[in-house]
Amino acid sequence: MSTAVDDDLWSAIGDPTRRRMLDLLLVSGGGTATSLGQQLPVTRQAVAKHLAVLDRVGLVQAATAGREKRYRVDDAQLARAVAQLSSVGAAWDARLQRIKRIAEAVQRQQDRRES
Amino acid sequence: MEFGTIEREVHIEATPEVVFEVVSSPEHLREWWPDDARYEPTPGSVGEIVFGDCDAGGKVVPFTVVDVRPPRTFSFRWAHPAGEPAAPGNSLLVTFELTASGTGTLLRMTETGFREQGWEVAVLEEAYQDHENGWDHFLPRLAPYVARLDEVPA
Repeated sequence: MSTAVDDDLWSAIGDPTRRRMLDLLLVSGGGTATSLGQQLPVTRQAVAKHLAVLDRVGLVQAATAGREKRYRVDDAQLARAVAQLSSVGAAWDARLQRIKRIAEAVQRQQDRRES
Repeated sequence: MEFGTIEREVHIEATPEVVFEVVSSPEHLREWWPDDARYEPTPGSVGEIVFGDCDAGGKVVPFTVVDVRPPRTFSFRWAHPAGEPAAPGNSLLVTFELTASGTGTLLRMTETGFREQGWEVAVLEEAYQDHENGWDHFLPRLAPYVARLDEVPA
């Protein structure tokens, strides 16, 4: 898995409209550019462009159904994107715990000196 | 969940003055994050933080202090390209906000900029992080092991 792929995944999911689209697709179990366009304040063309970005990084999968492509969220890829963000969050959790330990130790030292 | 921003808060039983010192001074930063930190804790100061051993494939990362208002706010940008001034779009912004809470301090941290920066920066420390997790994992196990060794009659 190259970093370049991860960067694309990250910026695909970073856009608020695309996140809203993922939410809608998750809730309704799938949708088309037309059905998503009806629920979002953007044109059908803009929706199609966003869907192409999500498709390129594997966050949605398309199946041809009638005249229009039908999209659904790829659960595994979405989980991967979320896991990457969590790992950065976990790093901060560890740092903040260390900040807490250090600050509380410094405070105890000061309190002892004053008493 | 806002992808691209990390937000955390933690209560610390220490005064805002003490917590401010710990989050902002290079001496303390070294204790909770990188292996080395060189900067002046004044707005606009440009410095660097170091992960790992520079002679053994470690990484030097630019670090620019943005805002210093003791004991309430400390913010910095990091991971901008070396020689380039830190700005939105080329770096990650970390902000610490401190509020007195009871006998201690509520510390809020946000980190933004991932959306513009992509993942390369986010995973930058992973190698060092693994090393660190390794110690977190083994040290608690080592202590009972040493205690048991003591019990063995000489």
